[in-house]
Amino acid sequence: MEIICLQENLKKGLNITERIIGKNLTLPILNNILISVEKSSIKLCSTDLEIGINCEISGKIIKQGAIAIPAKVLTSFINNLPNKKVQLKTKDNKLMIKCENYKSQIKGFSSEEFPIIPKIKSEPILKINKDILRTGLSQIVEITAISESRPEISGIYMKFEKESIKTAATDSFRLAEKIINDVDIASINENEIIIPKRTVVELIRILQDDDIGNVELVLNQNQVLFNLNNVQIISRLIEGKFPDYTQIIPKEFQAQVITNKQELINNIKLASFFSGKANEVKLSILPSKSLVELSSEDADVGSHKSSLPAKIQGKPIKISFNYRYLLDGLNNIFSDKVIISIGKEAGKTLITSVGDESYKYIVMPIKA
Amino acid sequence: MTLKQLWKTALGEIELCVSKPNFITWFKNTELKNKKEGIAIINVPNGFNKEWLQNKYYNLILKTLKNLSPDVKEIQFAIGGNFFQKTEKTQEKEAIKEEQLEFEEFHIDPETNLNPKYRFDNFVVGSFNELAQAAGIAVTKHLGKLYNPLFVYGGVGLGKTHLLQAIGNEIKRKYPSKKIKYLSSEKYTSELVDALSKKGMESFKTKYRKVDILIVDDIHFIAGKEKTQEEFFHTFNTLHQQNKQIIISADRPPKAISTLADRLRSRFEGGMIADISSPDLETRIAILKAKTKEKNFEISEDILHYIASNISKNIRELEGALNRLIVSHQLNGKELSLSYAKKILSNIISKPKTFTNFKKILNCVAEFYDIDINDLINKCRKKELVHPRQVAMYLIREELKASYPFIGEKLGNRDHTTVIYACEKISKQIQDDNNLQQEINLIKERIYQ
Repeated sequence: MEIICLQENLKKGLNITERIIGKNLTLPILNNILISVEKSSIKLCSTDLEIGINCEISGKIIKQGAIAIPAKVLTSFINNLPNKKVQLKTKDNKLMIKCENYKSQIKGFSSEEFPIIPKIKSEPILKINKDILRTGLSQIVEITAISESRPEISGIYMKFEKESIKTAATDSFRLAEKIINDVDIASINENEIIIPKRTVVELIRILQDDDIGNVELVLNQNQVLFNLNNVQIISRLIEGKFPDYTQIIPKEFQAQVITNKQELINNIKLASFFSGKANEVKLSILPSKSLVELSSEDADVGSHKSSLPAKIQGKPIKISFNYRYLLDGLNNIFSDKVIISIGKEAGKTLITSVGDESYKYIVMPIKA
Repeated sequence: MTLKQLWKTALGEIELCVSKPNFITWFKNTELKNKKEGIAIINVPNGFNKEWLQNKYYNLILKTLKNLSPDVKEIQFAIGGNFFQKTEKTQEKEAIKEEQLEFEEFHIDPETNLNPKYRFDNFVVGSFNELAQAAGIAVTKHLGKLYNPLFVYGGVGLGKTHLLQAIGNEIKRKYPSKKIKYLSSEKYTSELVDALSKKGMESFKTKYRKVDILIVDDIHFIAGKEKTQEEFFHTFNTLHQQNKQIIISADRPPKAISTLADRLRSRFEGGMIADISSPDLETRIAILKAKTKEKNFEISEDILHYIASNISKNIRELEGALNRLIVSHQLNGKELSLSYAKKILSNIISKPKTFTNFKKILNCVAEFYDIDINDLINKCRKKELVHPRQVAMYLIREELKASYPFIGEKLGNRDHTTVIYACEKISKQIQDDNNLQQEINLIKERIYQ
């Protein structure tokens, strides 16, 4: 194998593929990146046997071939080279790197040992603008719980509908639903899937790259493929059934509060310094005064109280929340005003933005 | 040699030929699914395994299998199998200190709708429910054969739902492959309405006709809903003919559910009817003890006795009182003493009795027996009117402590001796007739709703 390409291109490709590589002790070959050069393409591949990433980079191909090189060494080395032409050439199981007046050799492994990343040949079931997908997924992904006892909620739920994707995530204390619109859906055969959180995190990260165009989604036998032109992300899907979450979205409310989002966030942050171990911040909703009072108290630190004006319908309520859970919801709302609706049943609280119905965040309170 | 043994022997040989990490990574969680006409199908957990085994170990696997079973000529790989079968969910003890609330709904099994917290081992049995419990256990042992349908009835908060779900969970434990569906009749109705409006009747029908065990809670809510009754009737028949177990609960016996189609009623009565009545004091204490144990909490006997003797009708209220005590104890950190408990529970136990009046009683009685309120008052002496009228008299006397002449006057100017006769008759009958007692309790529930 012999190629010449720009340091910049190589670096970008390595950074996309390298992230999913952890430290695998049982199968050390997984700590490598596979550089595979075929007739007309240079591909970088990485996998942890759950996710696989293929990334095509541009460069001049002199000789075909392939080699697996330890990811950490290669990536850090290439990152620090000047942005000039880099020549990569294999000799036995070594990779010779030449760039300006630098010459180095990195020991690698035969490409034969590197796992084969499955190929998915089915037709894409949908096409979507990458920014819409990225924004939508990043609004909910953080909420997902990594839980071994409940694998079905340790991923992002996706349901394909006529012109939209319904996505949801939960850790059983709160739940976020985002409806992603403007999707070009070709067929909806298998219309519900659960994608592991890590896959979605990687996808979001890679989607930040400007070079990437639209995204195609392909499904096949509990695998999913995100095709982003030069980059392909293949992942297993989580088996199981996502809970029927629609029934937990409260429909009847004790009170509804409309207030300025940024002010509320600031108030919660201030109160959080006194919230103690339980992260507990108390909200008093006072319809008669059109005020929301926030208070927190910690035996060791001190106490705090603040209030902010709000439009309130309903009856006066006192309710406590983990302030992190509140912020996680509020930070994913993009409008100036936010609606907080406190449900009738067990104080389930719905946070939505004014004017955008595609995002819903539901959080459970702390027991009073 | 069975497929399982064959594959196990093959794996034993393969293990010798490949390195340990490779063996663990690629061969763990595989199984020989099928062997037919020389083609062996091997199940693998994911695409990576499939590609790797197909490309790197095909010959090795083929050779090994051929040695053991010469008819194998080809190997195919398929993704799937039961490798992800969930490990038995360890019921995490709900630590009471965990103050952050969770979405309760998530504990419910999405396939069956059953909540795993309802089990037989936490179902307290007493004379008031032993028949129902025994019938339930019998049902889990002889699915669809012994008592089909099993019809359980009893008042609010006495454990019907617990029993039904416990039966469901027990069946699921014993026969994991059986398809169980638990739902309330209300949900059935709303799904039916949904199916009707979205033209999804076919899938609705097959959905319920394909289950092995159908458990319907609170069936009395389908009273008066004709289309639901019709659909349920067909579902019921289809399942019953195939000897699929059906379990139903209601707040009263089938014949007391007014506006229930006769054909349904007779079918409900065709199996076993078991009632759950109110628990006695000892059972109530036993229930409280079970609950405190479940919550990992210790409360002294005299407090439990106090709660049990003051809340007598409803198990849910018992639990509510207990929860209240535990929470306030944790918030204030005070020692639990009887006087403290009395103070905390004062507004539950001595809450002012909801007042009622004779009009409300008459209304409820008329509604319950599905007759006109004027029929209670007029002079007609038809049998089907006389009984409700006597019940009304009895209730007014019992609940309002009204005088006999007053009752007589309000019920169509009858003589006070008529009223005395009615009251005595009903109170005597109650003692012998369980059904009548049930009726009276139900009417009372309605009055104080």
